[in-house]
Amino acid sequence: MAKEEQRLRSSIVARTLAAQGHVELILESRELSRAVPGQFAHVLTPGMLRRPLSFSRIDPEHNRVGLLFQVVGSGTAWLAERQTNDVLDVLGPLGHGFPAPDPVRPWVLVGGGVGVPPLFAATQMWLQHTISTPQVIIGARTGAWVVMENDFKRLGVPLTVTTDDGSQGQPGNVLAPLQTWLDAHREGQVYACGPVPMLQAIRRLALGRATAYLALEQRMGCGIGACLACVVPTVGNSGMSYRRVCTDGPVFKAEELMW
Amino acid sequence: MDLHVEFPRGLTLANPVIAASGTFGFGPEYSRYVDVGALGGISVKGVSPKGWDGNPPPRVWETPMGLLNSIGLQNPGVDVFIQEDLPFLRQYPTKVIVNIIGHTVEEYRQVAERLNGLDGVHALEVNISCPNIKQGGMSFGQDPDQAFAVMQAVRGATDLPVMVKLSPNVTFPGLIAQAVEAAGADMISAINTVVGLAIDIDRRRPALGGVTGGLSGPAIKPVALRIVYEVAQQVRIPVIGMGGIQKTEDVLEFLMAGASAVMVGTITFQHPDRMNQIINQLPEVMRSRGFSSLQEIIGAALPGKADNTAEEEVSYES
Repeated sequence: MAKEEQRLRSSIVARTLAAQGHVELILESRELSRAVPGQFAHVLTPGMLRRPLSFSRIDPEHNRVGLLFQVVGSGTAWLAERQTNDVLDVLGPLGHGFPAPDPVRPWVLVGGGVGVPPLFAATQMWLQHTISTPQVIIGARTGAWVVMENDFKRLGVPLTVTTDDGSQGQPGNVLAPLQTWLDAHREGQVYACGPVPMLQAIRRLALGRATAYLALEQRMGCGIGACLACVVPTVGNSGMSYRRVCTDGPVFKAEELMW
Repeated sequence: MDLHVEFPRGLTLANPVIAASGTFGFGPEYSRYVDVGALGGISVKGVSPKGWDGNPPPRVWETPMGLLNSIGLQNPGVDVFIQEDLPFLRQYPTKVIVNIIGHTVEEYRQVAERLNGLDGVHALEVNISCPNIKQGGMSFGQDPDQAFAVMQAVRGATDLPVMVKLSPNVTFPGLIAQAVEAAGADMISAINTVVGLAIDIDRRRPALGGVTGGLSGPAIKPVALRIVYEVAQQVRIPVIGMGGIQKTEDVLEFLMAGASAVMVGTITFQHPDRMNQIINQLPEVMRSRGFSSLQEIIGAALPGKADNTAEEEVSYES
């Protein structure tokens, strides 16, 4: 008997251009819509490996999830050409997502580039859960690449946008507004996702001042813990130990990482 | 159709499809996606006496029709495998082959000894061909004398059926195969990955953290078939073939080239249930070509026995 229950064939019910070179696909799947923000889908493409994509929105009420990605190679280019009613072959939801935020502590979400989508999913899911409204800080290389800005605005959360080239929002990266927020809030909770150098800097800013959860990306093989390709250096019992982004993460606490 | 295959020292597989080492973890990982009990065998990820950290990431890189990896044999050590994973594997009829690795001949001997006589361990695969570690590993598989020494030490430490996994990164794989046969190997598995390199042009440096990596996937299938075809004619012990198998017809290619069973690896990352599909399709694919047993297929593409080849050569002299 073939085990099919965890390998899902999910229909695309909507496709939108999220920004220049960025596409969001909305999939219909009861199983995927049970995901936790920060978890990912491992999507079959014509190459040698599946593509790990985190969920941009999770809607268990309507059995829908979103996958938002930038076209960077042949796999994502193929995915970007899929149309409504096409069916994707997906493993998921996979990995450990973000924990629900502590409702009484202040909360900030920091996303860079295609690291923004899982933070929208987290904001959407837990906005009503916290006493104080979370601050959202999103950054991109340039204004044309800013994703999900309008989605955050519709939720009515305070939003800061930064661009490296200053073409939109505050010039510079997300670190300056995060620093300001950390100075103003005690016992904060930082949820972050983005490029590795950004996460490394956020980790350094937050250590000892706030609880930071970082959602990592890494070149991935199987996606389910077998091949040990997608590792990241973490603090082990006796020095460094490599742990798997796919199953030990993708979300790690800042102090677990050894960067 | 009866698909079972018999090997020396009483090792019998229910069918000739084995999960290749390094692509299937220690067993539990894929059990949500794969009917583990339907596989002929599982070669678990390589284990060493004490754990190894493995290589820095990135550890995988896609190439046209191939996958380059530099995992570096990260593993928690043989004792953790025995305590945490072996009990899980015991629940299946699937034969468990433990891939063993070491930095020295003595380390290979230690792992082999530790696994000898354990309930649920059915065979060893001596990995003298991993291209991704600095010390030991592939160097043992590139020199007939060193390969002989490793196999001799393992033979002295275990009664289990033992296969030696060959490296394709040598001029004459048959010489290594003959050396380990002479040292008491029961089987040969071939091939391990082909050493390669990719450059990340955005970072202007090698794409993999370990610099070079091992190439697997369909890109290496012709290399693997050539080596299986050669080695099957150069040793008397059975050969287990692997390298780029994606579908049932590929299995027939390896069997006809002289393999008695196959290992399947890289395709599992895309299609976790492909090994199950291949096993299910095998009888029909065989029947449609007029075969009623695996024995009719194994070696079907090999030239005549050594004696016949010699006669043909004699005819050139007339």
